[in-house]
Amino acid sequence: MKQKRKQRSEAVEESRYFGDYGGRYVPEMLVPALEELSGAYFHYRESQEFQKELENLRKNYAGRPTPLYFAENLTRLGRGCKIYLKLESLCQTGAHKINNALGQALLARKMGKSCLVAETGAGQHGLATAAVAARFGLRSRIFMGEVDIKRQYPNVFFMKTMGAEIVPVRDGTKTLKDAVNAALKYWIEHLKDTHYLLGSAVGPFPYPLMVRDFQSVIGQEVKAQIKIYENRLPDVLVACVGGGSNSIGLFYPFLKDKNVRLYGVEAGGRGPGRGENARRLGKNPRKGIVQGYKSYFILDHEGQVQPTHSISAGLDYAGLGPELADLHDAGRICFDQVTDTEALSAFKTLCQAEGIIPALESAHAVAYALKIARKFSRRQIMVVNISGRGDKDLFIAAKELDNEGWMRFLKEEVNHGQPD
Amino acid sequence: MASRIDEVFSKKKKLKIMTHVVAGYPDLETSQNLILAMAEAGADMIEVQIPFSDPLADGPTIMAANHKALQNGLTPKLCLKMIEEIRDEVKIPLLFMTYANLAYTMGLERFVSESAACGVSGLIIPDLPFDERGYDDYYFWLKECNLVGIQVLSAGLSLPRLKKLLKIAEGFIYITLRVGVTGAREGMEKKSADFIDQVKAYAGLPLAAGFGISSVEQIRSLISRVDLAVIGSHLINLFNSGGKENVQEFIKEANQVIEQLS
Repeated sequence: MKQKRKQRSEAVEESRYFGDYGGRYVPEMLVPALEELSGAYFHYRESQEFQKELENLRKNYAGRPTPLYFAENLTRLGRGCKIYLKLESLCQTGAHKINNALGQALLARKMGKSCLVAETGAGQHGLATAAVAARFGLRSRIFMGEVDIKRQYPNVFFMKTMGAEIVPVRDGTKTLKDAVNAALKYWIEHLKDTHYLLGSAVGPFPYPLMVRDFQSVIGQEVKAQIKIYENRLPDVLVACVGGGSNSIGLFYPFLKDKNVRLYGVEAGGRGPGRGENARRLGKNPRKGIVQGYKSYFILDHEGQVQPTHSISAGLDYAGLGPELADLHDAGRICFDQVTDTEALSAFKTLCQAEGIIPALESAHAVAYALKIARKFSRRQIMVVNISGRGDKDLFIAAKELDNEGWMRFLKEEVNHGQPD
Repeated sequence: MASRIDEVFSKKKKLKIMTHVVAGYPDLETSQNLILAMAEAGADMIEVQIPFSDPLADGPTIMAANHKALQNGLTPKLCLKMIEEIRDEVKIPLLFMTYANLAYTMGLERFVSESAACGVSGLIIPDLPFDERGYDDYYFWLKECNLVGIQVLSAGLSLPRLKKLLKIAEGFIYITLRVGVTGAREGMEKKSADFIDQVKAYAGLPLAAGFGISSVEQIRSLISRVDLAVIGSHLINLFNSGGKENVQEFIKEANQVIEQLS
C-alpha cells in the first residue's frame, strides 16, 4: 500500500512537466494549496464514484455528448476534404468551458470548499463557473478585465443573474492575463474556503494536466463518433488556441495516432505589429516563466509580458498552455494564425452555409479549415472544433456585419428605456 | 569570509530594518536618491525590486509602482547600472528582488553574475521554488558568485518542505506575516506568529518578517520575535504622500523605538 502510494506520488511529480514546459513556479505560499489540489485531483481521478457523478452531470446537465456534425455545405465551400464540426457550442452555457467547470466544481465540493474564484476573458469560462456554482450551491467570484467587461457584456449580465460577483480588473492590459493575476492573488488570500477554478490548460501544476483531462471528453467523443460515421480515424483536426483548453481537449486522445494531423490556430489580430495580435508562436517565439508555468509567451527581449489583441476575447492571451508548447517543439501540432478580418468572414460563412453561429474564437478555426481544406482529398476527413457559440459576440459581430441596422436597434432600445 | 549580510546581523541593534524600493519608481533618479536617503536615515539593508509586468506576489501599491516604472522605460540593465553607480556610497547590503521571468530571460548565469558585479549581496526570486527546474542552476551560480539566495516562507508549509527549505536557506529567512500579497495592513495573523515560532525552533539563521508592516507599533511587536523587519508598501505610500523626507522620518522613528528597547 505504502509502496503504491509512493509510486503514485512519484508519478505525480513526473507529470509536473511536459517536456521542458509547465512546472509550478509560484511563491512558496501557494505551494501548500497546489499540493492539496493535486493530491485531491489524483485521488478522485481514480475514484469510480467521482467519475460516475461527473459522467452523469455531463450527460444530464451539460448536454453531452455534443453532436459531431457532417457539414456538407461547408465541405462544398472548402473544395477539399470532408468537414465535420464538433459542436461544443451546444453545451450548457454555450461552450466547452462547462466540461472543465463541472469537473473542478465537483472536486472543489469534495475538498470542502464553499467558494469558487475564476478569471474570464470572453466570459464563457466565467459563465460556466457561475453556472456550476449555482448548481452546487457555492459562491462564485469572477475576475474579468475591464476591457473584456465592455466587449462581452451579455455574459456579464448572465453571470450576475446566476448569482456570481463580477470583479472588474483594472491592472495592466485589463484583459485575461490580468484577470488571472487578480484571481490568483485573491486565491492566495482565501485559500481555506476557496477553490481557484482556472479555466484554461495553463498556470501552475496541476492545472494544465487537470484541465486537459476534463476537456479530453471532446476528443474521446469525436473518436467514438467518427468511428460510427466513417469507421475510421479523422485525418485532420483543427482548433483555435488561446490558452489552449479546447484544442488540447480535442487533440489529446489523438496524440498517439500519428497519422492524424493536428492544427492549432492562434489569433493573428490586426496584423504582425506589437500588441496587434496574440501569436505566441510567430516569428522568434519567446520562452518564459509567467503565471506559474514555463511556456511560450509574448514577451519583449527583456522578459516583460507584452499587450495582446484579438477580436475574440478568448484568444486574447499572452501565454500558451505548456503541453501545447511541448507538442509544438516535437512537431506534433502545427500552429498557424487567422486574422480578425478572416475570422469575421468565417463567422458569416458558417452562419450562411450551415445555420450555425460560432463564437468568434471558433470562427478562427473555421477560417483556417476553409484555408487548408483544399490541400486534402475528398476522401479525407477533417474535424473542426466549434468550441463555443456566437451569441455572446452579438455586439461585436453586429457592429461589423450590419452596422446600420444594429445602431438603429441600439438607439431605439436606449430611447425606449429612457422615455423623455 | 562573512558576507555583508552576516555583518548586519552581528550588530547589537535588537531589530534591524530592511526597506524596499521599486527601481525606476517614480523615475530612475528618484529611486536612486531614495536608496541613499534610506541608508542615511538608518536602514540596515535595502531590497531593490527590478520591475516586472506581472508581479504575482505583490499587492496594489507595489504592482502600481512596477507598472509606472516600466512605463517610464525601466529595464533590468538600467536597474543594474543604477545600483552600480551608488554601490560605493551605500555602506549597507543591497538585495535584488525580482520575478523568475526576468532572470530566466537574461539567462540565470548572466543575471546572477551581473547582479554580483554591480555590488548586491543577495537575491530574492519568490517564484523560483527550490524544487523546480532551473533552481539548481540558479543555486550553482549564486555559490559561484558569492551571493546569498533568500528564501521566502509562509505559514501553511508542510514540515518536510519547511525542513528542506531550511537546509538550503542562507543569509536570513524571510517570513511573510500573512498568507497573501504584499501591502500595508494592520495587526499580525496568529497563524503567522505561530509559524515564526515554528521556524525559529528549526532554523539556525536570523529571521526576517515582512508583508503588511505599516506602523511603528507593528515593528515594536516584532522586537525579540524576529531579527529583521521588512517594510515595503507602507514606505511607497509614505513616499507618495510626502516624498523621501516622509520615508526617512518613519525609518528614524522606527529606529528610535528599537533603540529604546535594545
